[in-house]
Amino acid sequence: MSLFAFMGTLEIGLIYGLIAIGVYLTFRVLDFPDLTVDGSFTLGAAVTAAAIVSGIPAVFATMMGVLAGTLSGLVTAWLNLRFNILHLLASILTMTALYTVNLRVMGKPNIALISEPTIFSPFEKLGMGIPNIYVNVLIIGLIVFIVGLLVIGFLNSQYGLAMRAVGSNKRMAQANGIVVHEKVYVGLAMSNALVALGGALFAQTNGFADSTMGVGTIVIGLAAVIIGQTLIPSRAMIVIILSCIMGSILYRIAVSLALNASFIGLNTSDLNLITAVLVALALVFPQVNKEYKAKKAAWKKV
Amino acid sequence: MIRCKNLHVTFNTGLPTEKCALKGIDLEIAESQFVTVIGSNGAGKSTLLNSIAGDVNITQGQLFFAHKEVTHWSAAIRTKDVARVFQDPLMGTCSDLTVEENMSLAYGRGKRGNLSPALNASLRKVFQEQLSRLNLGLEDRLQSEMGLLSGGQRQSVSLLMSALQPSKILLLDEHTAALDPKTAVLIMDITAQIIEEKKLTVMMVTHSMRQALDFGSRTLMLHEGEIIFDIQNEERSQYDVSDLLKLFAKAKNDGETLADDKLLLDS
Repeated sequence: MSLFAFMGTLEIGLIYGLIAIGVYLTFRVLDFPDLTVDGSFTLGAAVTAAAIVSGIPAVFATMMGVLAGTLSGLVTAWLNLRFNILHLLASILTMTALYTVNLRVMGKPNIALISEPTIFSPFEKLGMGIPNIYVNVLIIGLIVFIVGLLVIGFLNSQYGLAMRAVGSNKRMAQANGIVVHEKVYVGLAMSNALVALGGALFAQTNGFADSTMGVGTIVIGLAAVIIGQTLIPSRAMIVIILSCIMGSILYRIAVSLALNASFIGLNTSDLNLITAVLVALALVFPQVNKEYKAKKAAWKKV
Repeated sequence: MIRCKNLHVTFNTGLPTEKCALKGIDLEIAESQFVTVIGSNGAGKSTLLNSIAGDVNITQGQLFFAHKEVTHWSAAIRTKDVARVFQDPLMGTCSDLTVEENMSLAYGRGKRGNLSPALNASLRKVFQEQLSRLNLGLEDRLQSEMGLLSGGQRQSVSLLMSALQPSKILLLDEHTAALDPKTAVLIMDITAQIIEEKKLTVMMVTHSMRQALDFGSRTLMLHEGEIIFDIQNEERSQYDVSDLLKLFAKAKNDGETLADDKLLLDS
């Protein structure tokens, strides 16, 4: 892999690190499998792209995208909490609805941002001959770093601990005065805000927003979380959030290695199979490892 | 401290499976009174506790804590006054969180959690002091996951957690039923200590007639959603386990209760 290709991989890995953190918040912290992200990723990108094209400064456009993502998370939470629709189904409903919303927002299936000003443009001008991709990676790295710190601080706070309790044991949480519904609303809002931020950044680095760009986001996010936590198991929040980001980057590296290794004969359209295999491997590994260890211990006794 | 006025709780109202769990409970419990509650399965003991804690909606009637009407307060708000320990040791704590995180949650009971760190050195010291009262060596395991502790240890921690914040009412729902006899005695000792120390108003549901008479100063018997029997102080001291069992049999009004009674007598 060339350095240039590696920077591209790093860039996209960092962006999907945000999604991994979002997925961690719902799947692991709240125990709420939230498929809304397939829609809110695109929503973040679509709103940001539409806003930029209509002349709104890129920073505000990005904020609008994030806000839209937040709202979509709230819709899923509302469907689940207010009407008792199963969480998985509630999120699928929102995701399906968002597909139409995204087309409406953009007015067409995709918007090109190649010649539009993005949040990276001012820095690219400052860059003085350094290739744009380095500048982008630096800025995205900084954003992910700040977001990561905020999420770590949040999860270690009283409020964050209460949210973790809700995911672990609702009855106990309630008996300790925690308002369960509120925590789910806040958690889903935060998660989808992060995912939409990822979508907004993705659109701006890749120069387009497309109505189908969100397909499979949830699986990639899960892959990152699972790979990260398998390789770096820990209880400390700082390590967990870091492992989400690392998992995302490693996933991207694994994918690009698989696609680049010409002797395997895979091409870009095989991406979904590669993802599924990687996630399966990450899921199988801890289990097999445990069985192997147990067997080894049993052998020693004999 | 606790006053129930004509309390009704109905589940599945309007459906064929409609069930009246409580049928007009009138009850007044004085401050720092320790009440034990007995009754056969389905008598409404847990429903009574749940309706006081706010986990179950009151269909009709009123509920007061001291002079405040709390009938329509949410469970979360009522936790300012009410602490509880569940029967299932797994229920009172979060297995995925560490001992200190669980205790921190209980420490914040009834307060709105803010964004300051949930744990710090001075809190850890408080938790360690509290845990050392149990003599289970848990004070050195603050960072252990709750799920790694035994049922008895978890129940002990739940009990400590219920007393971390000043509350006025303690609800114990057969909190020793899932424990081995030795641990059950230990837990009851700590329970009595905490109640004495904090001057709590207590309702304890139990299936053990011995416990029902040995602890507290008043005993209630529930049957099919009604209080059929209420003794306290001197009157109660004249009763023994066999009297209670006779009452049980009378309530059930059939002879088949013998096997049940044997069970009750053993415990």
